[in-house]
Amino acid sequence: MKTILTGDGRTLSITPQTGFFKQNTALAMENKKIFTDAGIIAVDILGSVGAGKTTLAGALVAYLKGQKRLAAIAGDLTTEIDAQRIRAQGAEVLQINTDKGCHLDANMIKNAMDCLNLSNLDIVLIENVGNLICPSGYQLGAHHRMVVISVTEGPYQVVKHPHIFQDVSVVVINKIDLADVMEVDPQKLIADIHTIRPGIPVILTNGRTGQGIAELATALKLDK
Amino acid sequence: MHETAIAQSIIDTVMTHADKAGAKHVDKVEIEIGELTFLGIDQIRFWIENQIAGTVAEKAEWIFHSVPGGIRCPACQYEGDIKTAETEDHFRLPVFACPECGQANIEITQGRDAWIKAIHVEID
Repeated sequence: MKTILTGDGRTLSITPQTGFFKQNTALAMENKKIFTDAGIIAVDILGSVGAGKTTLAGALVAYLKGQKRLAAIAGDLTTEIDAQRIRAQGAEVLQINTDKGCHLDANMIKNAMDCLNLSNLDIVLIENVGNLICPSGYQLGAHHRMVVISVTEGPYQVVKHPHIFQDVSVVVINKIDLADVMEVDPQKLIADIHTIRPGIPVILTNGRTGQGIAELATALKLDK
Repeated sequence: MHETAIAQSIIDTVMTHADKAGAKHVDKVEIEIGELTFLGIDQIRFWIENQIAGTVAEKAEWIFHSVPGGIRCPACQYEGDIKTAETEDHFRLPVFACPECGQANIEITQGRDAWIKAIHVEID
């Protein structure tokens, strides 16, 4: 910080220049290092309320549990429903209740990490609060961010929320079995995603049947 | 909703520095907001103006600058602004890829933070 006294001696210019998000970003980098040093791949799962984040996290657990040691951190405002659903698939799950908060932040993940035995884990899935806006601004320290959209959200979800895709590594289009009945063209959604992030992997899934889950695990490098 | 929290942080920072400097008035505050944050400038201004009545910053001028998103390409070393694309529906979409070589795995170098650039106070 610099303080400059002007020529007339009557005014001061103070330049704090500390970013409001700096602390969160720094903490996210620390979290990432802790995950990496423990040999863990962490995935931040973003998406709207009802897109299928919990179902997909559960499906990934069911698919990978024979070969990998998994835990999940589930973010939700008030309930423990998500944690119970993922736990039922065979993973240790911590529920973070944000109360009224619309996103998880790096400090919440830090606190959750303190409750997990990291040396016994290969993968940590972090289910963010259902929201296509705010979570994007708060890095958590995951190695991958994945966005889940579903055809039931209609044909404009991607173009209406371009910024959620800014730093994700994989996009999932879920409930693909309902595309026809919803009159949503998945190819158009893929084209929209590729306008914003050319060449990024887009996986079509049906979280209920497990369709696309193997491909998703490979895209996130979870099955290696 | 983050505008309320950021507005409060701005006010707290301005008041702390004004107090430390023994300011009689805050003349002007310059704030930079990254375009890749999810912060609305009009909303931040509204929340600040709601909170500063009766303080040394009551008559301050609040100047907001928008900081464009910047990227760096690890493949071809491009460093610069994010480009936009116009879709058939006339949406303008940011393109998070290298405008030179097309690489999608780029590093975001600018536009994800917000900060107070300067607080100008009158001390006498």
